[in-house]
Amino acid sequence: MTENKFDAKIIGEFLNLGRNLAEAPMKASVPHEVKIGSTQFDIVYKEDKMRLLHFKPLTSKQIKTPLLISYAIVNRYHIFDIDPKKSWVKNLLEQGFDLYLIDWGTPTKIDKFLGFNEYVNGYMDNCVDYICDESDVDKISIQGYCTGGTLATVYSSLHPERVKNLIATAPVIDGWKDTTVVSNIAKFFDVDKLVDTVGNMPPEFIYYCFSILKPFEQGVEKYLKFFNNIDNEKFVDSFLKIEKWLDETPPIPGELFRQWIKGIYQDNLLIKNKMSVGGRLVSLENLNMPIFTQVAVGDHLVSPECSMPLHYAVSSTDKILKLYPTGHVGMIASSFSQKTVLPELGQWLKERS
Amino acid sequence: MENEPGITDYYKKTAMFWSDMIAMMSSKPTTLSSVGPLRTLSSNLKKITAELTEANKEIVEFNNFLIEYYKQLADTWSNAQKEVTSKSTKIPQNEEGTEAYKRVWIDIFENNFTGLFDSKKFSENYNGLISKELELLKRWNAVTDVMLKSANLPTKQEIEEIYEEIHALKNRIFKLELDKKKSEKNDRK
Repeated sequence: MTENKFDAKIIGEFLNLGRNLAEAPMKASVPHEVKIGSTQFDIVYKEDKMRLLHFKPLTSKQIKTPLLISYAIVNRYHIFDIDPKKSWVKNLLEQGFDLYLIDWGTPTKIDKFLGFNEYVNGYMDNCVDYICDESDVDKISIQGYCTGGTLATVYSSLHPERVKNLIATAPVIDGWKDTTVVSNIAKFFDVDKLVDTVGNMPPEFIYYCFSILKPFEQGVEKYLKFFNNIDNEKFVDSFLKIEKWLDETPPIPGELFRQWIKGIYQDNLLIKNKMSVGGRLVSLENLNMPIFTQVAVGDHLVSPECSMPLHYAVSSTDKILKLYPTGHVGMIASSFSQKTVLPELGQWLKERS
Repeated sequence: MENEPGITDYYKKTAMFWSDMIAMMSSKPTTLSSVGPLRTLSSNLKKITAELTEANKEIVEFNNFLIEYYKQLADTWSNAQKEVTSKSTKIPQNEEGTEAYKRVWIDIFENNFTGLFDSKKFSENYNGLISKELELLKRWNAVTDVMLKSANLPTKQEIEEIYEEIHALKNRIFKLELDKKKSEKNDRK
Protein backbone atom coordinates (compact mmCIF):
# COMPACT_ATOMS: atom_id res chain seq x y z
CA MET A 1 0.00 0.00 0.00
CA THR A 2 1.38 3.39 -0.94
CA GLU A 3 1.35 6.18 1.53
CA ASN A 4 0.01 9.56 0.43
CA LYS A 5 2.04 12.45 1.74
CA PHE A 6 0.48 15.93 1.86
CA ASP A 7 2.41 19.05 2.62
CA ALA A 8 0.99 20.72 5.74
CA LYS A 9 1.24 24.12 4.04
CA ILE A 10 -0.90 22.96 1.11
CA ILE A 11 -3.60 21.75 3.49
CA GLY A 12 -3.32 25.04 5.34
CA GLU A 13 -3.83 26.95 2.08
CA PHE A 14 -6.97 24.98 1.27
CA LEU A 15 -8.33 25.57 4.76
CA ASN A 16 -7.60 29.27 4.46
CA LEU A 17 -9.38 29.44 1.13
CA GLY A 18 -12.40 27.72 2.68
CA ARG A 19 -12.41 30.18 5.58
CA ASN A 20 -12.08 33.14 3.18
CA LEU A 21 -14.98 31.88 1.07
CA ALA A 22 -17.15 31.61 4.16
CA GLU A 23 -16.15 35.02 5.51
CA ALA A 24 -16.20 36.90 2.18
CA PRO A 25 -19.81 38.19 2.47
CA MET A 26 -18.94 39.79 5.83
CA LYS A 27 -15.69 41.33 4.60
CA ALA A 28 -16.56 42.58 1.11
CA SER A 29 -19.36 44.79 -0.19
CA VAL A 30 -22.12 43.44 -2.42
CA PRO A 31 -20.56 43.92 -5.90
CA HIS A 32 -23.53 45.79 -7.34
CA GLU A 33 -23.59 48.23 -4.42
CA VAL A 34 -19.98 49.32 -4.91
CA LYS A 35 -19.70 52.99 -5.87
CA ILE A 36 -17.55 53.86 -8.86
CA GLY A 37 -16.29 57.33 -9.74
CA SER A 38 -15.42 60.09 -7.35
CA THR A 39 -14.55 63.01 -9.60
CA GLN A 40 -17.36 65.54 -9.76
CA PHE A 41 -18.97 66.61 -13.02
CA ASP A 42 -21.97 68.45 -14.46
CA ILE A 43 -24.14 67.07 -17.23
CA VAL A 44 -23.95 70.01 -19.60
CA TYR A 45 -25.62 68.60 -22.72
CA LYS A 46 -27.99 65.71 -23.41
CA GLU A 47 -29.28 64.21 -26.62
CA ASP A 48 -31.33 61.00 -26.65
CA LYS A 49 -29.39 58.62 -24.35
CA MET A 50 -26.07 60.44 -24.83
CA ARG A 51 -24.78 62.79 -22.10
CA LEU A 52 -21.87 65.21 -22.21
CA LEU A 53 -20.09 65.38 -18.86
CA HIS A 54 -18.01 68.41 -17.89
CA PHE A 55 -15.65 67.67 -15.01
CA LYS A 56 -15.19 70.29 -12.32
CA PRO A 57 -11.71 71.84 -12.46
CA LEU A 58 -9.13 70.91 -9.83
CA THR A 59 -6.72 73.75 -10.66
CA SER A 60 -7.21 77.52 -10.48
CA LYS A 61 -6.14 77.96 -14.15
CA GLN A 62 -7.06 75.73 -17.07
CA ILE A 63 -5.34 75.08 -20.38
CA LYS A 64 -7.20 77.04 -23.06
CA THR A 65 -8.00 74.22 -25.48
CA PRO A 66 -10.63 71.91 -23.96
CA LEU A 67 -10.17 68.14 -24.17
CA LEU A 68 -13.08 65.88 -25.09
CA ILE A 69 -12.87 62.16 -24.30
CA SER A 70 -14.81 59.85 -26.58
CA TYR A 71 -15.38 56.70 -24.59
CA ALA A 72 -15.81 53.24 -26.15
CA ILE A 73 -19.21 51.90 -27.16
CA VAL A 74 -18.53 48.74 -25.15
CA ASN A 75 -18.81 49.04 -21.33
CA ARG A 76 -19.32 52.36 -19.55
CA TYR A 77 -17.01 55.34 -19.10
CA HIS A 78 -16.49 54.66 -15.36
CA ILE A 79 -13.14 52.97 -15.99
CA PHE A 80 -11.70 56.47 -16.54
CA ASP A 81 -12.54 57.31 -12.94
CA ILE A 82 -12.64 53.90 -11.28
CA ASP A 83 -10.48 54.81 -8.30
CA PRO A 84 -9.11 58.20 -7.18
CA LYS A 85 -5.54 56.86 -7.27
CA LYS A 86 -5.92 55.42 -10.75
CA SER A 87 -8.31 57.99 -12.19
CA TRP A 88 -7.52 59.10 -15.75
CA VAL A 89 -9.85 62.11 -15.55
CA LYS A 90 -8.61 63.24 -12.12
CA ASN A 91 -5.01 63.14 -13.33
CA LEU A 92 -5.83 65.25 -16.40
CA LEU A 93 -7.78 67.74 -14.26
CA GLU A 94 -4.82 68.02 -11.92
CA GLN A 95 -2.65 68.77 -14.96
CA GLY A 96 -4.96 71.72 -15.69
CA PHE A 97 -7.05 70.41 -18.57
CA ASP A 98 -10.63 71.58 -19.16
CA LEU A 99 -12.15 68.14 -19.46
CA TYR A 100 -15.33 66.82 -21.13
CA LEU A 101 -16.40 63.22 -21.64
CA ILE A 102 -19.09 61.64 -23.81
CA ASP A 103 -21.19 59.02 -22.04
CA TRP A 104 -22.95 57.18 -24.88
CA GLY A 105 -25.56 55.87 -22.43
CA THR A 106 -27.50 52.63 -22.63
CA PRO A 107 -29.23 52.17 -26.01
CA THR A 108 -32.66 50.56 -26.14
CA LYS A 109 -34.60 49.01 -29.02
CA ILE A 110 -35.60 52.40 -30.41
CA ASP A 111 -31.90 53.15 -31.00
CA LYS A 112 -31.47 50.18 -33.34
CA PHE A 113 -31.09 52.41 -36.40
CA LEU A 114 -28.31 54.60 -35.00
CA GLY A 115 -25.08 54.20 -36.95
CA PHE A 116 -21.72 55.88 -37.43
CA ASN A 117 -23.42 58.89 -39.01
CA GLU A 118 -25.58 59.62 -35.95
CA TYR A 119 -22.72 58.98 -33.52
CA VAL A 120 -20.09 61.00 -35.37
CA ASN A 121 -21.91 63.68 -37.37
CA GLY A 122 -24.72 63.93 -34.83
CA TYR A 123 -23.84 63.36 -31.19
CA MET A 124 -20.10 63.99 -31.34
CA ASP A 125 -20.35 67.02 -33.60
CA ASN A 126 -23.05 68.54 -31.39
CA CYS A 127 -20.83 67.99 -28.34
CA VAL A 128 -17.91 69.70 -30.10
CA ASP A 129 -20.24 72.57 -31.05
CA TYR A 130 -21.35 72.93 -27.46
CA ILE A 131 -17.78 72.92 -26.10
CA CYS A 132 -16.54 75.40 -28.72
CA ASP A 133 -19.41 77.77 -27.91
CA GLU A 134 -18.85 77.47 -24.15
CA SER A 135 -15.07 77.90 -24.35
CA ASP A 136 -15.08 80.42 -27.18
CA VAL A 137 -12.67 78.38 -29.32
CA ASP A 138 -12.86 77.04 -32.88
CA LYS A 139 -11.08 73.78 -32.23
CA ILE A 140 -10.73 71.31 -29.39
CA SER A 141 -8.54 68.32 -28.56
CA ILE A 142 -10.17 64.88 -28.76
CA GLN A 143 -9.07 61.66 -27.12
CA GLY A 144 -10.75 58.42 -28.13
CA TYR A 145 -10.32 55.13 -26.33
CA CYS A 146 -10.79 51.70 -27.94
CA THR A 147 -13.88 51.83 -30.17
CA GLY A 148 -14.24 55.44 -29.04
CA GLY A 149 -10.82 55.96 -30.66
CA THR A 150 -12.28 54.79 -33.95
CA LEU A 151 -15.21 57.19 -33.59
CA ALA A 152 -12.79 60.02 -32.78
CA THR A 153 -10.66 59.10 -35.80
CA VAL A 154 -13.68 59.09 -38.13
CA TYR A 155 -14.85 62.41 -36.67
CA SER A 156 -11.39 63.99 -37.11
CA SER A 157 -11.31 62.83 -40.72
CA LEU A 158 -14.73 64.31 -41.52
CA HIS A 159 -14.32 67.48 -39.44
CA PRO A 160 -10.56 68.21 -39.34
CA GLU A 161 -11.27 71.93 -38.95
CA ARG A 162 -12.75 71.27 -35.48
CA VAL A 163 -9.90 69.14 -34.10
CA LYS A 164 -6.75 70.74 -32.76
CA ASN A 165 -5.16 67.53 -31.48
CA LEU A 166 -6.16 63.88 -31.73
CA ILE A 167 -5.18 61.26 -29.18
CA ALA A 168 -6.05 57.71 -30.25
CA THR A 169 -5.72 55.30 -27.33
CA ALA A 170 -5.85 51.65 -28.45
CA PRO A 171 -8.09 52.52 -31.41
CA VAL A 172 -9.65 49.83 -33.62
CA ILE A 173 -8.34 50.73 -37.08
CA ASP A 174 -7.08 47.81 -39.19
CA GLY A 175 -9.47 44.91 -38.60
CA TRP A 176 -7.60 42.47 -40.81
CA LYS A 177 -4.42 42.89 -38.80
CA ASP A 178 -6.19 42.35 -35.48
CA THR A 179 -4.99 39.06 -34.03
CA THR A 180 -7.41 38.83 -31.10
CA VAL A 181 -10.06 36.14 -30.67
CA VAL A 182 -12.69 38.91 -30.96
CA SER A 183 -11.63 39.62 -34.53
CA ASN A 184 -11.56 35.87 -35.29
CA ILE A 185 -15.24 35.63 -34.37
CA ALA A 186 -16.10 38.94 -36.03
CA LYS A 187 -14.63 37.88 -39.37
CA PHE A 188 -17.19 35.08 -39.87
CA PHE A 189 -20.09 36.69 -38.05
CA ASP A 190 -23.48 36.98 -39.79
CA VAL A 191 -24.12 40.46 -38.48
CA ASP A 192 -27.10 41.09 -40.79
CA LYS A 193 -28.98 38.16 -39.30
CA LEU A 194 -28.26 39.31 -35.76
CA VAL A 195 -29.34 42.90 -36.33
CA ASP A 196 -32.41 41.97 -38.37
CA THR A 197 -33.55 39.41 -35.78
CA VAL A 198 -32.51 40.85 -32.43
CA GLY A 199 -32.05 44.56 -33.16
CA ASN A 200 -29.23 45.73 -30.92
CA MET A 201 -26.14 43.68 -30.13
CA PRO A 202 -27.10 42.14 -26.76
CA PRO A 203 -24.73 42.47 -23.77
CA GLU A 204 -24.78 38.68 -23.25
CA PHE A 205 -22.91 38.23 -26.49
CA ILE A 206 -20.37 40.89 -25.53
CA TYR A 207 -19.82 39.04 -22.22
CA TYR A 208 -19.18 35.87 -24.21
CA CYS A 209 -16.49 37.63 -26.27
CA PHE A 210 -14.86 38.88 -23.06
CA SER A 211 -14.98 35.47 -21.43
CA ILE A 212 -13.05 33.76 -24.24
CA LEU A 213 -10.26 36.33 -24.14
CA LYS A 214 -8.38 34.76 -21.24
CA PRO A 215 -10.81 32.23 -19.81
CA PHE A 216 -8.58 30.71 -17.15
CA GLU A 217 -6.72 33.79 -15.95
CA GLN A 218 -9.87 35.87 -15.96
CA GLY A 219 -12.36 33.17 -15.10
CA VAL A 220 -10.50 31.09 -12.50
CA GLU A 221 -7.24 32.58 -11.25
CA LYS A 222 -8.64 36.08 -10.81
CA TYR A 223 -11.34 34.88 -8.40
CA LEU A 224 -8.96 32.63 -6.46
CA LYS A 225 -6.72 35.66 -6.01
CA PHE A 226 -9.72 37.67 -4.81
CA PHE A 227 -10.67 35.16 -2.12
CA ASN A 228 -7.04 34.70 -1.07
CA ASN A 229 -6.79 38.46 -0.56
CA ILE A 230 -10.14 38.95 1.15
CA ASP A 231 -8.46 40.59 4.17
CA ASN A 232 -6.72 43.16 1.95
CA GLU A 233 -9.26 46.00 1.95
CA LYS A 234 -7.59 47.97 -0.86
CA PHE A 235 -7.33 44.93 -3.12
CA VAL A 236 -10.95 43.91 -2.49
CA ASP A 237 -12.23 47.43 -3.14
CA SER A 238 -10.30 47.77 -6.40
CA PHE A 239 -11.33 44.25 -7.52
CA LEU A 240 -15.03 44.85 -6.94
CA LYS A 241 -14.97 48.19 -8.73
CA ILE A 242 -13.43 46.62 -11.83
CA GLU A 243 -15.86 43.69 -11.67
CA LYS A 244 -18.83 46.04 -11.44
CA TRP A 245 -17.54 48.04 -14.39
CA LEU A 246 -17.06 44.86 -16.45
CA ASP A 247 -20.60 43.81 -15.61
CA GLU A 248 -22.14 47.06 -16.84
CA THR A 249 -22.04 46.42 -20.54
CA PRO A 250 -24.73 48.20 -22.53
CA PRO A 251 -26.14 46.86 -25.80
CA ILE A 252 -24.65 48.28 -29.01
CA PRO A 253 -27.09 49.89 -31.47
CA GLY A 254 -27.76 47.38 -34.25
CA GLU A 255 -26.87 49.58 -37.20
CA LEU A 256 -23.66 50.82 -35.58
CA PHE A 257 -22.69 47.24 -34.80
CA ARG A 258 -23.45 46.15 -38.38
CA GLN A 259 -21.31 48.94 -39.83
CA TRP A 260 -18.62 48.17 -37.28
CA ILE A 261 -18.31 44.45 -38.02
CA LYS A 262 -18.63 44.81 -41.78
CA GLY A 263 -16.69 48.04 -42.20
CA ILE A 264 -13.83 47.36 -39.82
CA TYR A 265 -13.43 43.61 -39.29
CA GLN A 266 -14.84 42.03 -42.46
CA ASP A 267 -14.17 44.53 -45.27
CA ASN A 268 -11.51 46.62 -43.47
CA LEU A 269 -12.77 49.82 -45.11
CA LEU A 270 -11.39 52.37 -42.65
CA ILE A 271 -7.70 51.73 -43.25
CA LYS A 272 -8.35 51.47 -47.01
CA ASN A 273 -9.97 54.95 -46.96
CA LYS A 274 -13.15 53.42 -48.36
CA MET A 275 -15.51 53.82 -45.42
CA SER A 276 -18.52 56.02 -46.03
CA VAL A 277 -20.27 57.85 -43.19
CA GLY A 278 -23.29 60.07 -43.83
CA GLY A 279 -22.60 59.95 -47.56
CA ARG A 280 -19.02 61.18 -47.13
CA LEU A 281 -15.86 59.17 -47.61
CA VAL A 282 -13.66 58.80 -44.54
CA SER A 283 -10.04 59.31 -45.55
CA LEU A 284 -7.32 58.96 -42.94
CA GLU A 285 -5.24 61.25 -45.13
CA ASN A 286 -7.49 64.09 -43.93
CA LEU A 287 -5.93 63.72 -40.49
CA ASN A 288 -3.46 66.59 -40.64
CA MET A 289 -3.62 67.72 -36.99
CA PRO A 290 -1.08 66.62 -34.34
CA ILE A 291 -1.76 62.96 -33.52
CA PHE A 292 -0.69 60.87 -30.56
CA THR A 293 -1.32 57.12 -30.97
CA GLN A 294 -1.11 55.14 -27.73
CA VAL A 295 -0.79 51.37 -27.99
CA ALA A 296 -0.53 48.71 -25.28
CA VAL A 297 1.83 45.86 -26.17
CA GLY A 298 -0.12 43.36 -24.06
CA ASP A 299 -3.53 44.39 -25.39
CA HIS A 300 -5.62 41.23 -25.91
CA LEU A 301 -8.78 43.12 -26.88
CA VAL A 302 -7.38 45.39 -29.61
CA SER A 303 -4.04 44.05 -30.74
CA PRO A 304 -1.20 46.55 -31.33
CA GLU A 305 -1.11 45.52 -35.02
CA CYS A 306 -4.70 46.75 -35.31
CA SER A 307 -4.04 50.21 -33.77
CA MET A 308 -0.59 51.08 -35.09
CA PRO A 309 -1.51 51.48 -38.79
CA LEU A 310 -3.25 54.75 -37.89
CA HIS A 311 0.12 56.35 -37.25
CA TYR A 312 1.35 55.46 -40.74
CA ALA A 313 -1.88 56.25 -42.61
CA VAL A 314 -2.33 59.90 -41.62
CA SER A 315 -0.97 62.93 -43.45
CA SER A 316 0.01 64.74 -40.25
CA THR A 317 3.71 65.50 -39.88
CA ASP A 318 3.38 66.15 -36.15
CA LYS A 319 2.65 62.63 -34.98
CA ILE A 320 3.90 60.24 -32.36
CA LEU A 321 3.36 56.53 -31.73
CA LYS A 322 4.01 55.16 -28.24
CA LEU A 323 3.99 51.52 -27.22
CA TYR A 324 3.46 50.82 -23.54
CA PRO A 325 4.29 47.56 -21.76
CA THR A 326 0.80 47.09 -20.35
CA GLY A 327 -2.67 45.85 -21.30
CA HIS A 328 -5.89 47.36 -22.67
CA VAL A 329 -7.23 48.48 -19.29
CA GLY A 330 -3.80 48.90 -17.70
CA MET A 331 -3.07 51.70 -20.16
CA ILE A 332 -5.83 53.89 -18.73
CA ALA A 333 -6.53 52.67 -15.18
CA SER A 334 -3.38 51.60 -13.37
CA SER A 335 -0.51 53.02 -11.37
CA PHE A 336 1.55 52.55 -14.55
CA SER A 337 -0.74 54.86 -16.49
CA GLN A 338 -0.51 57.43 -13.68
CA LYS A 339 3.28 57.29 -13.63
CA THR A 340 4.02 57.00 -17.34
CA VAL A 341 1.12 57.26 -19.81
CA LEU A 342 -0.65 60.32 -18.41
CA PRO A 343 2.42 62.52 -17.73
CA GLU A 344 3.62 61.88 -21.31
CA LEU A 345 0.19 62.61 -22.74
CA GLY A 346 -0.20 65.75 -20.61
CA GLN A 347 3.18 67.08 -21.68
CA TRP A 348 2.50 66.42 -25.36
CA LEU A 349 -0.92 68.03 -25.19
CA LYS A 350 0.20 71.09 -23.24
CA GLU A 351 2.83 71.83 -25.86
CA ARG A 352 0.07 71.88 -28.49
CA SER A 353 -2.79 73.51 -26.59
CA MET B 1 -28.58 9.22 -42.81
CA GLU B 2 -28.69 9.67 -46.61
CA ASN B 3 -32.49 9.54 -46.51
CA GLU B 4 -32.71 12.23 -43.85
CA PRO B 5 -33.62 15.17 -46.17
CA GLY B 6 -36.23 12.97 -47.90
CA ILE B 7 -37.82 11.99 -44.59
CA THR B 8 -37.77 15.61 -43.38
CA ASP B 9 -39.40 16.74 -46.62
CA TYR B 10 -41.99 13.99 -46.30
CA TYR B 11 -42.98 15.00 -42.76
CA LYS B 12 -42.90 18.67 -43.67
CA LYS B 13 -45.15 18.14 -46.68
CA THR B 14 -47.52 15.87 -44.69
CA ALA B 15 -47.83 18.44 -41.90
CA MET B 16 -48.40 21.30 -44.35
CA PHE B 17 -50.87 19.24 -46.39
CA TRP B 18 -53.02 18.36 -43.38
CA SER B 19 -52.86 21.80 -41.81
CA ASP B 20 -53.96 23.27 -45.15
CA MET B 21 -56.67 20.64 -45.61
CA ILE B 22 -57.99 21.11 -42.07
CA ALA B 23 -57.95 24.86 -42.52
CA MET B 24 -59.90 24.61 -45.79
CA MET B 25 -62.31 21.91 -44.57
CA SER B 26 -63.05 23.76 -41.38
CA SER B 27 -63.08 27.26 -42.83
CA LYS B 28 -66.76 27.26 -43.72
CA PRO B 29 -68.19 25.76 -40.54
CA THR B 30 -65.75 27.75 -38.38
CA THR B 31 -66.60 30.99 -40.18
CA LEU B 32 -70.23 30.38 -39.32
CA SER B 33 -69.64 29.36 -35.74
CA SER B 34 -66.61 31.41 -34.70
CA VAL B 35 -66.75 34.99 -33.56
CA GLY B 36 -64.35 37.38 -31.81
CA PRO B 37 -60.79 36.15 -31.23
CA LEU B 38 -61.69 32.69 -32.55
CA ARG B 39 -62.46 34.10 -35.99
CA THR B 40 -58.90 33.62 -37.22
CA LEU B 41 -58.20 30.51 -35.17
CA SER B 42 -57.76 28.12 -38.06
CA SER B 43 -55.56 30.42 -40.17
CA ASN B 44 -53.49 31.25 -37.08
CA LEU B 45 -53.00 27.58 -36.35
CA LYS B 46 -51.87 27.07 -39.90
CA LYS B 47 -49.23 29.81 -39.61
CA ILE B 48 -48.01 28.46 -36.29
CA THR B 49 -47.81 24.91 -37.65
CA ALA B 50 -45.82 26.14 -40.64
CA GLU B 51 -43.32 27.93 -38.39
CA LEU B 52 -42.95 24.97 -36.03
CA THR B 53 -42.44 22.55 -38.92
CA GLU B 54 -39.69 24.73 -40.35
CA ALA B 55 -38.19 25.08 -36.88
CA ASN B 56 -37.79 21.30 -36.59
CA LYS B 57 -35.19 21.26 -39.34
CA GLU B 58 -33.34 24.16 -37.75
CA ILE B 59 -33.37 22.50 -34.34
CA VAL B 60 -31.58 19.51 -35.86
CA GLU B 61 -28.97 21.78 -37.48
CA PHE B 62 -28.62 23.79 -34.26
CA ASN B 63 -27.99 20.57 -32.35
CA ASN B 64 -25.28 19.54 -34.79
CA PHE B 65 -23.46 22.83 -34.28
CA LEU B 66 -23.97 22.58 -30.52
CA ILE B 67 -22.53 19.05 -30.39
CA GLU B 68 -19.51 20.20 -32.40
CA TYR B 69 -19.12 23.22 -30.09
CA TYR B 70 -18.98 21.05 -26.96
CA LYS B 71 -16.77 18.54 -28.74
CA GLN B 72 -14.25 21.26 -29.55
CA LEU B 73 -14.27 22.42 -25.92
CA ALA B 74 -14.00 18.86 -24.57
CA ASP B 75 -11.18 17.90 -26.98
CA THR B 76 -9.22 21.02 -26.09
CA TRP B 77 -9.74 20.36 -22.38
CA SER B 78 -8.58 16.79 -22.77
CA ASN B 79 -5.46 17.79 -24.76
CA ALA B 80 -4.60 20.48 -22.24
CA GLN B 81 -5.04 18.07 -19.33
CA LYS B 82 -2.77 15.52 -21.02
CA GLU B 83 -0.12 18.21 -21.46
CA VAL B 84 -0.44 19.22 -17.80
CA THR B 85 -0.14 15.60 -16.66
CA SER B 86 3.01 15.06 -18.70
CA LYS B 87 4.62 18.12 -17.11
CA SER B 88 3.30 17.69 -13.57
CA THR B 89 5.51 14.67 -12.82
CA LYS B 90 8.51 16.99 -12.79
CA ILE B 91 6.91 19.36 -10.25
CA PRO B 92 7.77 18.72 -6.56
CA GLN B 93 4.92 18.09 -4.09
CA ASN B 94 5.38 21.00 -1.72
CA GLU B 95 4.04 24.56 -1.37
CA GLU B 96 6.24 25.93 -4.17
CA GLY B 97 5.27 22.93 -6.25
CA THR B 98 1.56 23.66 -5.78
CA GLU B 99 2.09 27.22 -6.94
CA ALA B 100 4.14 26.01 -9.92
CA TYR B 101 1.47 23.41 -10.78
CA LYS B 102 -1.22 26.09 -10.68
CA ARG B 103 0.85 28.30 -13.00
CA VAL B 104 1.58 25.44 -15.41
CA TRP B 105 -2.10 24.40 -15.42
CA ILE B 106 -3.35 27.90 -16.15
CA ASP B 107 -0.70 28.59 -18.83
CA ILE B 108 -1.31 25.32 -20.65
CA PHE B 109 -5.10 25.62 -20.52
CA GLU B 110 -4.93 29.28 -21.56
CA ASN B 111 -2.69 28.47 -24.54
CA ASN B 112 -4.80 25.53 -25.68
CA PHE B 113 -8.10 27.37 -25.43
CA THR B 114 -6.75 30.57 -26.99
CA GLY B 115 -5.51 28.39 -29.82
CA LEU B 116 -9.01 26.98 -30.22
CA PHE B 117 -10.75 30.37 -30.06
CA ASP B 118 -8.25 31.73 -32.58
CA SER B 119 -8.91 28.94 -35.07
CA LYS B 120 -11.03 29.14 -38.18
CA LYS B 121 -12.86 25.89 -37.32
CA PHE B 122 -14.04 27.36 -34.00
CA SER B 123 -15.13 30.65 -35.52
CA GLU B 124 -17.03 28.93 -38.35
CA ASN B 125 -18.80 26.48 -36.05
CA TYR B 126 -19.57 29.08 -33.39
CA ASN B 127 -20.98 31.50 -35.94
CA GLY B 128 -23.01 28.65 -37.45
CA LEU B 129 -24.40 27.94 -33.99
CA ILE B 130 -25.33 31.60 -33.47
CA SER B 131 -26.85 31.76 -36.94
CA LYS B 132 -29.14 28.77 -36.24
CA GLU B 133 -30.05 30.20 -32.84
CA LEU B 134 -31.09 33.42 -34.57
CA GLU B 135 -33.14 31.51 -37.15
CA LEU B 136 -34.97 29.73 -34.31
CA LEU B 137 -35.52 33.08 -32.63
CA LYS B 138 -36.96 34.40 -35.88
CA ARG B 139 -39.45 31.50 -35.93
CA TRP B 140 -40.38 32.16 -32.31
CA ASN B 141 -40.88 35.84 -33.16
CA ALA B 142 -43.16 34.86 -36.03
CA VAL B 143 -45.24 32.58 -33.75
CA THR B 144 -45.46 35.33 -31.12
CA ASP B 145 -46.49 37.82 -33.81
CA VAL B 146 -49.43 35.58 -34.77
CA MET B 147 -50.56 35.52 -31.13
CA LEU B 148 -50.07 39.27 -30.72
CA LYS B 149 -52.11 39.93 -33.84
CA SER B 150 -54.95 37.73 -32.57
CA ALA B 151 -54.90 39.71 -29.31
CA ASN B 152 -55.02 42.95 -31.36
CA LEU B 153 -51.59 44.02 -30.13
CA PRO B 154 -48.82 45.52 -32.31
CA THR B 155 -46.43 42.97 -33.77
CA LYS B 156 -42.62 43.20 -33.78
CA GLN B 157 -42.67 44.33 -37.39
CA GLU B 158 -45.24 47.04 -36.67
CA ILE B 159 -43.18 48.33 -33.73
CA GLU B 160 -40.04 48.29 -35.89
CA GLU B 161 -41.88 50.38 -38.49
CA ILE B 162 -42.62 52.98 -35.81
CA TYR B 163 -38.98 53.01 -34.69
CA GLU B 164 -37.84 53.43 -38.27
CA GLU B 165 -40.31 56.26 -38.79
CA ILE B 166 -39.09 58.03 -35.65
CA HIS B 167 -35.50 57.55 -36.77
CA ALA B 168 -36.27 59.05 -40.19
CA LEU B 169 -38.08 61.98 -38.55
CA LYS B 170 -35.15 62.62 -36.22
CA ASN B 171 -32.77 62.63 -39.16
CA ARG B 172 -34.98 65.15 -40.96
CA ILE B 173 -35.04 67.39 -37.87
CA PHE B 174 -31.27 66.99 -37.55
CA LYS B 175 -30.79 68.17 -41.15
CA LEU B 176 -33.10 71.15 -40.59
CA GLU B 177 -31.20 72.09 -37.43
CA LEU B 178 -27.90 71.76 -39.26
CA ASP B 179 -29.09 74.04 -42.06
CA LYS B 180 -30.31 76.54 -39.47
CA LYS B 181 -26.97 76.43 -37.67
CA LYS B 182 -25.08 76.98 -40.93
CA SER B 183 -27.21 79.96 -41.95
CA GLU B 184 -26.83 81.48 -38.45
CA LYS B 185 -23.05 81.14 -38.74
CA ASN B 186 -23.11 82.74 -42.20
CA ASP B 187 -25.25 85.61 -40.85
CA ARG B 188 -22.72 86.25 -38.07
CA LYS B 189 -19.91 86.43 -40.65
